[in-house]
Amino acid sequence: MKRALTVLLLVVVAIPLLYAVAQLPPHGSPTSPAYTHVSAYYLEHGPEEAGAENVVTDVILNYRGFDTNGEVTVIFTSLAAVFAVLLGSRKGDERLSEEPTAHQSPVSDVVSFIVRLLAPFIAMFAIYVILNGHISPGGGFQGGAIIAALVIVTTIIVGRKQAEAMVPIRIRRVLHVAAPLAFVSVGIAGLIMFGNYLEFPKTESLMWLATIWLIIVEIGIGVGGAAIVATIYWTMGDE
Amino acid sequence: MIDLLWTNLDYAASVILFCIGLYCVVTKNNLIKKFIGLNIMETAVFAFIVALGVVEGGDAPIMGVGASAPFTNPIPQALILTGIVVAVSTTSIALSLIIRIYQHCGTIEADELREME
Amino acid sequence: MPASALLVSVIIVPLLGAVLTPVVGGRTGKASGPWAFGVMLVTSAIALALIVHVANVGPFSAYLGGWEPPYGIELRFDEFSASTAVICLLGTLAILFSFRYAEKELPTERIRYYYTLLLLNLTGMIGFVVTGDLFNLFVFMEILSLSGYALVAVSGEHTAEMAAFKYLIMGAVSSLMVLFAIGLLYALTGSLNMADISVRLAGAAKAPAMLAVAALTVGFMVKAALFPLHIWLPDAHAIAPSPVSAVLSGLVVKTGLLGMIRVYQIYYGAKVLDLSSLNMVLVWLGAISIVMGAFFAIFQEDIKMMLAYSTISNIGYIIMGLGLASQYGVIGATVHIFNHALIKATLFLGAGAIIYRTGYRNLTDLRGIGRSMPLTTAAISIGAISIVGMPPTAGFLCKWYIALGAVEAGHPIFGFALVFGALFIFVYYIRMVNTFYFLEPVHPEILEVKEAPLSMLVPVLILAALCLVMGVLGRIPISFIEPAVIRMLAPLGG
Repeated sequence: MKRALTVLLLVVVAIPLLYAVAQLPPHGSPTSPAYTHVSAYYLEHGPEEAGAENVVTDVILNYRGFDTNGEVTVIFTSLAAVFAVLLGSRKGDERLSEEPTAHQSPVSDVVSFIVRLLAPFIAMFAIYVILNGHISPGGGFQGGAIIAALVIVTTIIVGRKQAEAMVPIRIRRVLHVAAPLAFVSVGIAGLIMFGNYLEFPKTESLMWLATIWLIIVEIGIGVGGAAIVATIYWTMGDE
Repeated sequence: MIDLLWTNLDYAASVILFCIGLYCVVTKNNLIKKFIGLNIMETAVFAFIVALGVVEGGDAPIMGVGASAPFTNPIPQALILTGIVVAVSTTSIALSLIIRIYQHCGTIEADELREME
Repeated sequence: MPASALLVSVIIVPLLGAVLTPVVGGRTGKASGPWAFGVMLVTSAIALALIVHVANVGPFSAYLGGWEPPYGIELRFDEFSASTAVICLLGTLAILFSFRYAEKELPTERIRYYYTLLLLNLTGMIGFVVTGDLFNLFVFMEILSLSGYALVAVSGEHTAEMAAFKYLIMGAVSSLMVLFAIGLLYALTGSLNMADISVRLAGAAKAPAMLAVAALTVGFMVKAALFPLHIWLPDAHAIAPSPVSAVLSGLVVKTGLLGMIRVYQIYYGAKVLDLSSLNMVLVWLGAISIVMGAFFAIFQEDIKMMLAYSTISNIGYIIMGLGLASQYGVIGATVHIFNHALIKATLFLGAGAIIYRTGYRNLTDLRGIGRSMPLTTAAISIGAISIVGMPPTAGFLCKWYIALGAVEAGHPIFGFALVFGALFIFVYYIRMVNTFYFLEPVHPEILEVKEAPLSMLVPVLILAALCLVMGVLGRIPISFIEPAVIRMLAPLGG
């Protein structure tokens, strides 16, 4: 009954939605406002003004860099949120104090061998993706995700204790904030040198500096993102 | 009307996907299933916005050697990169809440939880 | 320091403070509370400087990355952004109030992340009110929502976790609606800057523009907890830790309303649609919210639950004022956003101090508390008088303006709904005050409890004093906001 009612309601909602999206500018048209206004400017001037041949990188790190600054803060928020929900237990709550009965199933030798074999190559690929984000598809987020995946498979084969021991908690706390810190330091450098927060050098002679700043931010995002995703995985694995 | 909808089929598909996701969120009883419904809705919105950036015959917007116009619109891609990160963050918080609820109550079925209150 | 740099730093300072909190917290996390307090003091100073500047020269912008809009992100500080000051004030006081709370109630490992989340939440709100870019608004909205979900659950009680999950599902759906609307507006205009969208929307197709405004309205109204989208609010606000309740109820729901003001700024300026039917719906829902919120509040035993329902009726007042789209109505609504934040924070923090000392939350159990905690209950009583809207307190002038707005818009009937709602509200706050002072205590030990500790008492008393001061000086915020409202409504006049 509830299901039928929901379906009916959603059909009623969907009809005006479909009617409205049908009247949007036609899909794929090169004359639509979405394509001719701001993005035309980015495509025309992006590479020489913003310092990266990959225009998507220009947009996320330079033209709309502040959004990405907010975005890395969102990831950091999720880390703080996961900690605030999962760490420790409420005072006087007995049900949680008993140890969880975690029985680790043994990892097969094949999996273990393959992961060990591939690990250096995965790490290499991640570094490549991070450092080449400004000239090819990729960038900090993508590379960070690859590093995090590597940490997670390593955790599966060596166990959580050993994996965590590789990075002490003090250093991890600093790594978690690598992305916002990279952004804020580049942003303040821009504020001091050129007068606006997150302003990258725009003149031809300083293009090398712009590229260095882009790479700093990309590395910050990659390392920080990977550290946060891995830590969330470890914290959830606790429970 | 129908032919307009046909040219904008991508958008229509996202709208339908959005409604499917909303259906899951409203009717499913299991908290994880509810949350998967939310993820479907997220995917629908992301697909909609990425589809806005498509240009007929467009190439990836990377201005290297040998790149030739037209290029696809870079803005929607950049926006959705942000959107995906937000979705991942929401997912991690929701899952940790579900873990805790399960530890406290021993169930993640919405109706059983309501009875316990 | 140029104004644009100052405008950026009002976001960057708390953001940097928040991400450094876990590192600064030291081994035990004890240092994170004072650190967060210091960060908010600096931010408050910056916010004050900004408000002085906007009062002198009018709205001003900062171009991030040096890109002029629409190519880059613009931060725009106008009179509505002056709510930054209220955010900073409440944030600072809530952090001060949290010192004792966190020490007593939270697991030690969570303390540093509690302050981190609180700072992130405040950063998100400040960013939300000062940004001039629609997608940037979404990003800050997510920062404040995500931290809000976690803050509800931070106490670790299973009811809190369930309330947080409910809040998360509804909040995430509403965020998606906002994102969907941003996509639609982008497809129609090719821009993400609000001022630019408003200009370019003029010639756009009507149906998608209408869908976008509908999606934005529903999205923001879930955040603002307008009836019938309020179902997440009572649990989340009542079960959250008291300082968090004060921030959520005083500030976070208001971001939905400030978002709605941004939508109006875009659409009134664009003149692409006639929004009067949408406004009529909002006014009706606002009126229903006032009555329903007050009605449910009467039957609550739990003091914080009662305050949570009272938030719903006050949101109703504000929506009604905004929907009337008349000058008096909108001014009253905007000023009530500020005043209700002060009043509700007084009430929630006061209630929190009582719960901290006694451990009781039900009104019956709290009988006679007025004799043992006289200062706290006096502050709560001032808050109660203000929220009912009696002169000379902060609540009076804005409700009076909203009633005038109803007459001005030609719907005096809503003025009656407003007065009727105020009567209801009067009933349950009288019940609360009566319980505190005049009924015989159920638990004799309640007469033995000590007055709240200084770090809790000071914020409550400051807020209560402000409720009175804002009542006497109520003209100042009204004359401050008036030019912005006139500018916003100007396109409707012709």
